[in-house]
Amino acid sequence: MLTYVIRRILILIPMLLIISFLVYWGLELTPGDAVSHLINPEAAGRMSAEQLNDLRESYGLNKSFIERYGIWLINVLQGNFGHSLAGGVPIADIFLDRLPATLELSFVALFFSTVMGSILGTISALKRGSAIDSGLTVVGMLGVSIPEFFFGLVALLIFALELGWLPVGGRLLPSYTSYWDHVPNIVLPALVLSLMMTAGVMRYSRSSMLDALSREFITTARSKGLPEWRINLLHGFRVALTPVVVLIGFRLPVLIGGTVIIEQVFQWPGIGNEFISSVRGADYPLVMMIALFSVFAVLLASLIIDVLTALIDPRVRLS
Amino acid sequence: MEENHNIALSVKNLKTYFYTNNRCNRAVNGVSFDIEKGKTLCIVGESGCGKSVTASTIMQLLPRLSRIEEGSITYHSDAGDIDIENLERNGQKMRAIRGSEIAMIFQDPMTALNPVYTIGFQIGESLKYHTDLTKKQIRDKTIDLLRDMGISLPEQRIDEYPHQYSGGMRQRAMIAMAMSCNPKILIADEPTTALDVTIQAQIFELMDRLKEKHNTAIMLITHDMGVVAELADDVAVMYMGNIVEAGTIDEVLRTPTHPYTRALLDSIPVLGEGKNQIIEPIPGSTPDPYQRPKGCQFAPRCTHYSEQCDIMPEETQISETHRIMCWKYQEFATNGK
Amino acid sequence: MENSSLNRKFDRILALENAGKLKASSGNRALSKFYNNRLAVFGLIVFSIILLTAVFAPLLTSHDPLKINLRNIAQSPSWEHWFGTDRTGRDVFSRVLYGGRISILVGLGSALMAAVIGVAIGGYTGFKGGWLDVIALRISEIFMSFPQIILVLMLVSIAGQSLFNLIFIFVLTGWGAMYRMTRARMLSLREEEYVQALQSFGLSTATICYKHILPNALGPIMVNITLSTAAFILAEAGLSFLGLGVPLNLPTWGNILNVAQEIRVLQNFWWMWLPVGLVISLFVLSVNFIGDGLRDATDPSQQG
Repeated sequence: MLTYVIRRILILIPMLLIISFLVYWGLELTPGDAVSHLINPEAAGRMSAEQLNDLRESYGLNKSFIERYGIWLINVLQGNFGHSLAGGVPIADIFLDRLPATLELSFVALFFSTVMGSILGTISALKRGSAIDSGLTVVGMLGVSIPEFFFGLVALLIFALELGWLPVGGRLLPSYTSYWDHVPNIVLPALVLSLMMTAGVMRYSRSSMLDALSREFITTARSKGLPEWRINLLHGFRVALTPVVVLIGFRLPVLIGGTVIIEQVFQWPGIGNEFISSVRGADYPLVMMIALFSVFAVLLASLIIDVLTALIDPRVRLS
Repeated sequence: MEENHNIALSVKNLKTYFYTNNRCNRAVNGVSFDIEKGKTLCIVGESGCGKSVTASTIMQLLPRLSRIEEGSITYHSDAGDIDIENLERNGQKMRAIRGSEIAMIFQDPMTALNPVYTIGFQIGESLKYHTDLTKKQIRDKTIDLLRDMGISLPEQRIDEYPHQYSGGMRQRAMIAMAMSCNPKILIADEPTTALDVTIQAQIFELMDRLKEKHNTAIMLITHDMGVVAELADDVAVMYMGNIVEAGTIDEVLRTPTHPYTRALLDSIPVLGEGKNQIIEPIPGSTPDPYQRPKGCQFAPRCTHYSEQCDIMPEETQISETHRIMCWKYQEFATNGK
Repeated sequence: MENSSLNRKFDRILALENAGKLKASSGNRALSKFYNNRLAVFGLIVFSIILLTAVFAPLLTSHDPLKINLRNIAQSPSWEHWFGTDRTGRDVFSRVLYGGRISILVGLGSALMAAVIGVAIGGYTGFKGGWLDVIALRISEIFMSFPQIILVLMLVSIAGQSLFNLIFIFVLTGWGAMYRMTRARMLSLREEEYVQALQSFGLSTATICYKHILPNALGPIMVNITLSTAAFILAEAGLSFLGLGVPLNLPTWGNILNVAQEIRVLQNFWWMWLPVGLVISLFVLSVNFIGDGLRDATDPSQQG
């Protein structure tokens, strides 16, 4: 098992190297002074041309592309992600500031959609052909077809603007004293994001469960005289679970995409929101670092998913 | 008919229809047979003739879009007769019979075993629901069963997963699972088709031994005449949902009477006859189940076809145990071959 | 109960069968299965209607979607302006119709191009194997480890906003999924015996691959095209809603929705965003129903 994890990590390293290389290349292609990737651009703006040149020399920016990449990579690995062009804030500080909000939102959505989605999908599969199944199928289809921002806007209009039950947006206002004070703020964005993702998980769980139930070992289990609940849960659901877990890993990019847009709709101060502003403001160092970070998150998630699958599926674990 | 105490299960005029794609397929169209304790009944036929469906029907393991149309399946249990066709498909009474009174083994032990549970868990499940044994006792009994089936190091093997077993061992584990509660009847649906020929012989030997030891009635489904000759006490030949000929092994193999049985036997090369033997393939192919011939299902391929055959022939007893579905059996019965 | 309704269905089929009324269905089985799927047919009808209204927009409305009329701003729906007018007095209905042209072009066009590239590469390298296959696989892995929206926005920030760039970026980010699917199909199909037979006849790789094997993978490819069309239309809408997709001077469904970012518009001028949001949802829904219908129809393991 340990060797499996280590092997999996070793595969990731060249992948990350190539991607970071591409990102750095993209960074150099964009307009702007490469010095700003390393020091505060406002400070750089106050320097004379000579000072800047000295600085370039000291950072090795006059060296070849590969060497420049190497220096940049070492900096990134040491936690020096460079500086945002807007205000010259270190990117690492922006991450520290914005990440908790994004993680909070996505974990709630991921948890809720996984639990609801797999339960509803399983019910749908077990009641195949019934009214419940048709109803859930159509609802699930609507869930994957309605643009999430549109759904968010409608929810915002109804629950925040018309009914006034929940705040329009934002996360932590100065007037809040405890963590729990911001719960009303997270309800709408989390609910919208969860419901959209639930639809996808539900559709997938249903087909995975149907597939598992059509396998021959279900007939074997039945031929042993086991009760239906045991067949459905221990034999059907347990086997259907593996592809669903894999799917949740694959859905992380979808979750990130959804978070970016939902954060924008509800003015949720997360990384996604920051990303949109950086794209709009052509803040290239920030754009690239967030992109690199998201790839890192996706690859890390795929690693975790692989380990999880290995844990629940003996065929993977023991091969 | 007199009541035979040796009969474990009797099937009478059983019809099972399938309703897929908005059509009706008369997969089993009126079959009758008895399975006797301590004997092996072989059901032979080409793929699609309804032999596997017959087996699933007895166990009520039919797919959703199918049902028992008419007929009866009577299980003669120690506590009296049970009409299986009247039991709810996955109801409690049916479940009490499955696995403990009638057990089944399947064609492909790879797909028939759940890949995510250990062999021990899957055998133990059966014991858990049909006996009052404790966890410890279940485990001991499972190890004994595996040892009985000729699996070495059962203490270790019990905790392994199906993919760690070889094909033959998986089928042994399947048999261990089926035999765990000493069923009166064992239904084996082509148990060796997915296995190597050498393994095949071992599995049959095992089944034969179990039959002797526990007086189990075995219903063996196969398409292999060689297997029939080897194992069967009684034979039923199926074609397109009917049993066209049935009898003891001697009757069917030595005096085959139905044109289909004879054609089937003629199409098989016999070992040791050399390469000059005449092998007669059966002309034509099995008809589309949705466009069945009106009368005798074999009529379009039969060399002895006459107009009479456009009406479905009735079952005729030609001896106490030998019966046949053909209008012209007398011609063949007297002429021999 | 399910059992009794199933039994009734069985009785009905049996009665028809006994009366000899059920004939073997002639023609394409997949096609007839598709037409028997109510949701798929519904999808096809809605899809066609929206597509036709977009194509024949000039016949359906006399308003110019780009014409600003400052004397006529933010009018609620009327006989003259079915969906009202926006804050610069442009007719929303005509903007939805003309916007459909670009949105559908972006969605369908990107999906088709991504499919052509993905299938061509996946088919060939999957069949050939070797180092070409490894390289293609690695490249697709790199593209697929970026969350799509991040990759798209990153490229938008580098390449700039234009209709062409957007389609190009969609193709760049979308070919990977098609490639993967085709390659996987290819890997299993190339082991089939008829392929070995063709090879023994000495046919060229390209002929075997594209002419003989590919048609067998057509079902999943079609399904994938429909599903990625839906995904691209949603992506365009999302990006344009953020103001980062198609340049705002072109009407697209997403661009029309862009105004709804303002709370005032959201609350007071529902006609500027609600109808177009519903049209997008309905269109994507219809495409997804078609995709599902195609999947069920082309999957031989599905019965019913």
